[in-house]
Parts: sequence; C-alpha cells; structure tokens
Amino acid sequence: MDVLANLGHGFIVALEPLNLFWCFAGVFLGTVVGVMPGLGPAATIAMLLPLTFKMPPTSALIMLAGIYYGAKYGGSTTAILLNVPGESASVVTCLDGYQMARKGRAGAALGIAAIASFIAGTVGVVALMLVAPPLAKFGLAFSSPEYFALMVLGLAMVVLLAGESLVKALLAMLVGLWIAGMGIDLFSDASRFTFGNSEMLDGVDFVIVAIGVFALSEVFANMEQREEGTMLPVPKGLRNLLPTMAELKACRFAFLNGSVVGFIIGVLPGAGSTIASFISYGLEKAVSKHPEKFGTGVPEGVAAPEGANNSETGGALVPLLTLGIPGSGTTAILLAAFVLWGLKPGPLMIQDNPELFWGLVASMYVGNVMLLVLNLPLIPLFAQILKLPSYLLYPIILGISLVGVYTVSSSLFDCYMLAAFGLLGYLMRRLDYPSAPLILGLVLGDAMERALRQSLMMSQGDLGILVSRPISATMLVLAVLLLIMPLFRKFNSWRVRAIEENG
Amino acid sequence: MAQKSWFLKGDVVSGAVLAALGVYIISEARQWNYVGPEGPGPGFFPMWYGIAMVVLSLWLVVVSAVRPAVAGAKVDWKGVGRAMLVWAVFALCTALLKLLGLLTVLALLTLFIVGVMYGKSLKIACAAAAGNALGFYLVFSLALNVGLPVGPLGF
Amino acid sequence: MTLRTSIIMAACAAALAAGPAWAQFKPTKPVEIVVHTGPGGGADVLARFMTQLIEKENLAPVRFQVNNRDGGGGLRAMAYVAEKKGDTHTIAIFTGNWLTNPLVRAEAKFTLKDMQPVARLVLEPAVVAVKADAPFKTMKDFIEAAKKTPGTLKQSGGSQTSRDNVVRQLLMKSTGANWAYISFPGGGERIAALLGGHVNMMVIEPQEAGEHIKAGNMRVIAQVAEKRLAPYPNVPTLKEAGYEIPNVPQVRGVVMPSGVAPDVVAYYEDLFQRMVKTPTWRKYLEDQQFEDGFQKSVELGKFFDTFTNQMREILKEAGTPVVR
Repeated sequence: MDVLANLGHGFIVALEPLNLFWCFAGVFLGTVVGVMPGLGPAATIAMLLPLTFKMPPTSALIMLAGIYYGAKYGGSTTAILLNVPGESASVVTCLDGYQMARKGRAGAALGIAAIASFIAGTVGVVALMLVAPPLAKFGLAFSSPEYFALMVLGLAMVVLLAGESLVKALLAMLVGLWIAGMGIDLFSDASRFTFGNSEMLDGVDFVIVAIGVFALSEVFANMEQREEGTMLPVPKGLRNLLPTMAELKACRFAFLNGSVVGFIIGVLPGAGSTIASFISYGLEKAVSKHPEKFGTGVPEGVAAPEGANNSETGGALVPLLTLGIPGSGTTAILLAAFVLWGLKPGPLMIQDNPELFWGLVASMYVGNVMLLVLNLPLIPLFAQILKLPSYLLYPIILGISLVGVYTVSSSLFDCYMLAAFGLLGYLMRRLDYPSAPLILGLVLGDAMERALRQSLMMSQGDLGILVSRPISATMLVLAVLLLIMPLFRKFNSWRVRAIEENG
Repeated sequence: MAQKSWFLKGDVVSGAVLAALGVYIISEARQWNYVGPEGPGPGFFPMWYGIAMVVLSLWLVVVSAVRPAVAGAKVDWKGVGRAMLVWAVFALCTALLKLLGLLTVLALLTLFIVGVMYGKSLKIACAAAAGNALGFYLVFSLALNVGLPVGPLGF
Repeated sequence: MTLRTSIIMAACAAALAAGPAWAQFKPTKPVEIVVHTGPGGGADVLARFMTQLIEKENLAPVRFQVNNRDGGGGLRAMAYVAEKKGDTHTIAIFTGNWLTNPLVRAEAKFTLKDMQPVARLVLEPAVVAVKADAPFKTMKDFIEAAKKTPGTLKQSGGSQTSRDNVVRQLLMKSTGANWAYISFPGGGERIAALLGGHVNMMVIEPQEAGEHIKAGNMRVIAQVAEKRLAPYPNVPTLKEAGYEIPNVPQVRGVVMPSGVAPDVVAYYEDLFQRMVKTPTWRKYLEDQQFEDGFQKSVELGKFFDTFTNQMREILKEAGTPVVR
C-alpha cells in the first residue's frame, strides 16, 4: 500500500538519531510550557524560530510540532492538581480532574489524562495520515452558517453543565457572552464595553477569566476556614497513583469520543481546541448512564476533554498542511515558519516534500510514545505538591495564577482584572452560580456573534441561510434535541415520583 | 437546610444585580447600530443577550422571592469575611506589583497568609515568604526565563 | 529595565548628544524591538527575521530582542513606545495600523506624531483573487457582475479599516458597483471562505496566494501594486485595468521614542540602510514578494503626514467615524 510505503519512509526519517533528539527536545519543552499557565506553545515556537533556521527544515518542523502537541499533554497537570488551567483547553479538565484530586485520585486523573492524550493524539495522527485531503474539502464546506450552528450546539451544552438551577446556569452563560463581546467589534470597528480603556480594546483574555473564576475562587473559598485540614489526601504507593482498571474501563467510550470529536473540530479552521474539549465533555455526559455524577470527579470527565484537546492537533494540521490555512495562533506561527524556510504548505506540499510530510507524521507517532513515557513517571512527582500544607500551597497557587496571567501579554492591567474575576468567581460560588457555563459563553460568544453576523451578511438578512444548508440544519436540530432532553428526563422523574407517591 | 434562606435572599440580590447589568447592556447596545447597511450591526447581539439577561434574572428574583424562606438560615459571615479579607489583600498586592515587583509582592502575600490568616509563628511565616519568592525566582526567572514584573531594585 | 539605569542611560545620551560632533552614538546594551502583535503576527515575524539578520551579518555591536506588546488593538505598543521618551535602546516596527488606528479610536492617547521616524522598510503589495472556477476572468468581469446584482457578490477580508476594505471602498466609489464585505478575524478563514465558494473575491498578499494559484484553486484578476509583480507578468495592476484609484500599500518600517539626539536617529537609519543592502534581505523581499520601500527618517515623516491625510479621507468616505 502506498500509505504504508510512505509511512515506512517517514519512519526512516523520524528515527534518525538527530531527529529523535529534536523530537524529544520538542515534546519535553512542550510539556514544560504546557504545565506552566500563561506560557503557551505559540510564544515558545515564535521564540525558538530563529534558532531553527540553522537546522534542516524537517528536524526543525519535528521539534516545533513536538512543542505544539507536547504542550497539550502538560496543560492538564495544573488543572487537575491546583484547579489552575494551564492553557485554555484544560478548563474543561478542571471540572472533573480537580474533583478527582480532591477525592485522593490525583494520580489517577493525571494518568487518565496522559493515556487519553496518548490514544487521541495517536488517533489524530492516523486520521491526518489517511484522510487529510478529503477531510480538508469537508472543512471548506463549513462556513459561517455552519459555524453558527456549531456554536449553538456548543451553547446548548449549558443544560449539561448546569447544576441545580438552569436559570442560574443560563445567567452565568449570558455574563460569559457579555465578557466575550468586550473590545473592538471586527465588523464596524466600534469599541464595546471598554469603559474608555485602551487596554480593553482586544477584549478580556480567556485565561484571565478562567484562572480567576476557577483557581482564585477555590483559594478564597478554602480560606474561609482557619483549620488547615488535610485538604487533598495523597495516597501512598505507586498503585494508588495510577488509574485502576475499572477507571480505565469507564473511559473506553471517552477515549473514542475525544479522539473523533477533537479531530473533526480540529479540521475546521474557525473552531479550536477549547470548543472541541467542551463539546466532547458534553457528548460524554449526554450519553453517560450517570450524568449526574459529572463534575464530582468521574474519570470519563477527564478523558473526553483531554482526548479531544490532543486529537485536535492532528486535525488542525490538516488544513495547515494540505491547504496552507492556519486555524489557530500556534498553527499560524508554524505557517510563518514554513514560509521563512522557503517551504510552502498548500495543496502541493505532500507531493513536493514527501520526506517532510511523512517524516513529520512518523515523528508524531514517536513523539506521542515519548510523551507517555515522559509523563507517566512524572505523575508521582507532581502529585507530591499536594502534600504541602495548605498554608504553603495557597500562596503558591496565587503566585502561579499571577505569573500565568502576566505572561499572557506582560500586562499589569491583566493582573488587576485577575483580582476582579477572582472576586466574581468567589461570589458566584457562594451564590451557587455554576462557573462552567460562564466559561462556555466566553469561549463561544465571540465566534457565535461573528458567525451569525457573517451569515446574515452573506444572505442579505435572510435567516433562512441558517436552516437551508444541510450541515448547519443538522447541528441546529441536535442542539434543540440537547435542550429538550433534560425536560424529558425531568418529566420522567416526576412521573416516576408521582406514581410512587400515589402507590 | 441551614443555609437555604440565605441562598434565597442571595438569589434575589444577585438576580437584581444581573437585571441591572442587563439594563446597562441594553442601554449601551442602543447606542450602536442594530442593523447597518452591511447587515446586523454591533448592537444586534448585545441587545438580544441583554434582553435575555433581564428576563431570566427577573424570573429568578420573582421565583426566589415567592418561595417561602426556610427557618434557621445562617450564613458563615465570619468565613465570608476571611475570604473577602484575603481577596482584598490579593487585590492590593496586584496594585503593588508595579511598585514592588512580583517577587517582593509574593513574599508579602505569603507572609500575610501564613502569618495572619493561619496564625503561624513569625519565623515560619518569614521562611515561607522567602522560600516562595526564591522558588518563583528559580523556576520562572532563572529556569524558564519568563519576564516577571520587577520593582525599582531590579527584582 | 530599572528606573535607575534608565536615568543613567538618559544622562549618557544627553552627554553624548552635547559632546563633540565625532562622538557617534553606539548602542551599549541589547536593543528592544517593540511589536504590536503576539508571536507569529506579521510584524513579529519581520522583527524576528531582522534580529536574526543583524546578528548574522554583524551589523551592530549588540543583540536585538523582540518585545511583544500585543493587545489594545495595537495601541498598547504605541503607548509603550511613546512613553519611553528619550530611550535610545528601544525601537519599534510600525505598520499601517499605527497610522489608521489613532484616527478611529477615541481610546488612543498617542499617534505616530509622538514618535521619531527612523526608516521605512517594506511596502507589501496585494493581488485581487477569485476562485479558479469563478466566471470572472478580469477585474472588469467582476465589477460588471457586481453592477448587475448590487450587494450579492461578496468579498472576504479583515476589519473595516484594513487595506482590503479600503481597496473595496475605493473601487466601489470609482465604478458605482456594490458588493458585500464580510469580515473574518484570521487570514486562514478568509482564504477558506473563498476556496469553499462562500465568498466571490478577496484582496490577498501575493505570497499567501502563491500556492493556491499554483495548485489551480485560485486566479488573480488584478494587482494592487505600483508595477506588475514578477510572478504575474500578465495580470494588470488596478491602474492598468482602468481603475484610477490611489495605490494603498501595506507599509512596515521602524520608529523610536521621540526626544532622542539626532546622532541616535542617524545611527539606526544607517544600520537599516546597511541591512536592506544585504543579499539576505534582498532575497527575503523576493521570497515574500514585498516591494523595497526603504525611506530615510525625514522622508518617512513626510510619508506619515500624506498617508494619514489620505486615510482620513478614505475612512470618512467609507462612513467610519474619524475621531482626529
């Protein structure tokens, strides 16, 4: 088979000692910047770019791609241990990952995150290898109406993320939409909700809100009691630090779900890994036999979003390598790197540079194995941080939050906003408003408004464009189903209760 | 059940605040084009979520005000006070970043949390403060070469 | 940099400026290049290429470092540079946005008038592209089709103040045709919308379009350039096609904080003059299909004035509120 021969050739390239070394350097660096909140793969790749001009392009690409997917492995660590999302896509991992850690299953959560990342990352590469060109065509069929429907589908997840009160969840989501709308309006250049402050023109960075609402509010809530307590039990012994068979078995579907959802959303240039992880989490909860346990620390709740986040990498490389279209900040830098090396990603790239394409694909298999081998032994090490007494742990979390926010764009204003969002998060927690819908609204709001307005511009104001296109119509129907599903459940439980009470 | 009525009251207050936010959003949105020559304008989307916010929050206020309060409600005001104190100090620390730099601020914050909030001895608090600042210096400035906010003394 | 060293630096600079004429300024510590985009943005990539080139060709005694001051729609970087008055070790990459943004943003505290022009480096031309299977073979085909069904043809592009829209406004005004403009935040999405057949036309950088044209997915129908670009010898510029509109280049160059002595400006001016003469730079321009736009400090200052006035008129005509 052609693919196998090509892949074989790719492995010859990827397994050259020098390329193996660069691959390791890339995934190692990626893990480090992924663990540190605020530091992202985009900035790291840009900083290393000048160094790579002296390297052969294939080696350089293998290393830079290693940073890209390696960072996604690392992102879950602080999310699970400290409730500090290491990068935007790990926000969803906080929901169940941190709760698992609170139950003494920190090691298991980290292990599941690593395994899900490995499986989904590998599936993503397989898919990239096998279906890249046809799938790129599918990605092009997506335009604004489809993106709008995708965002609606994403927002419909709010019913799955809601706690006791759906009204409060919806309100939190609306606040998220409001925050998402701050800054310059792309279409009219009007500045909205900036309070006349030039620092607000680009809107509020997602990381600031996520860290404030998740990490800071957690610290403030824990400070209510003076007793230190043993906040997070860390069981001894290697066995307790790794996921059990039962936990892994519970994640079977989540591994698959994360892999597929992540890859498909990755192919779309206008979506992104945060949306992928939200949708994968929602899907997992929707089909689960025990949806009510989500958010209390179920392993599937870690596996699905972490898988989606990693498989998204393979997906995002599809439009980049086959069309020369970057879908995210990181892939945009990779594109810039290609151009500086004199390579031109695009429809002809796989034909013109087979060594580079197949070498990269093969190196991603190798890199994923390296990441698993690198990350599993680190788990017991990382879990040790939870052994710190809480009076030491909390200042560290506050410090990491500050540094994480500051590194996003070296702005002190962002630190002030962090304090504000920490307060918001604490108040929401005290008043029983769920925080995940706020983040959901924040992630989707901007893209959703944009897609809606683009659609209506395309159709000259005719709303029919949203339902007359098959892909968007299908997704809108799914969203409606998702919205009415809990009503059925509620109705069912009423009925059961009514029957029991009558009987 | 103990906290139920406080939550109800909290719902009324927070609902009212959100309704006010919704009204503010609508009033701002009215200043921008709702529909322009090219299509929906900048006021289009905020108008709709503003309206949704007002409707939902008023609904929340009405429902929770009507629901009978459960007796014996109690809020751990002392706990809330402690949390708000930590928040206030944290906010003050961010304001001091420009003046003192991150490491000094972090040391002060650690000193406060360990010494005041947890009532540890001054010795432990100072050691924790120094250790934390040193750790951040080693990890972020030295190993990762991240630019941190610095004070006038260069750290 | 600490306050104390900056005071010392300023004192040194003042001493140098006041000194005898042969006391030429030379940087004594790493020079900061401020860019208004995050890593990977257009200005950032250019700045990183320049740091690399300056080091490789040994053009300066010190290293140059990129400082990303992204955010605030570019205003943050401008404020950062303007507030460093008198700093001799800070320079910045400006783009057309630095000229247009203060015109439309009430939040802007500074304009390029608050900075010292150093050198203009590149002019980036553009091409007008359609999908390969589109019925439009020439610009005229497109304009005629747009006249027949006003408002139904679509162009994908960036924000309202971007060059793409300015070219559209100018073309619509001079021909009386009318088509829609749909903003997308990322260049990738703009291309995807065109290739997916969701829009009909876009103004695109030639280097970005290159591969799509080679692969037979896109066709160039006109060029937004003073003279024809080497890869498209048979495609007319807008002027040649009969559309008398002012050429709107995307411009990039170097400015620095105001209040520095003339010998400091002269030093950087000379540095970049030496830089643009290197074969590596020539090759870079060729690869990226940029036009050489080198101008010295004084001419650049004049360019700022004319460009700003031109943009003000264009924006006013496009109905964008202009604040200064």
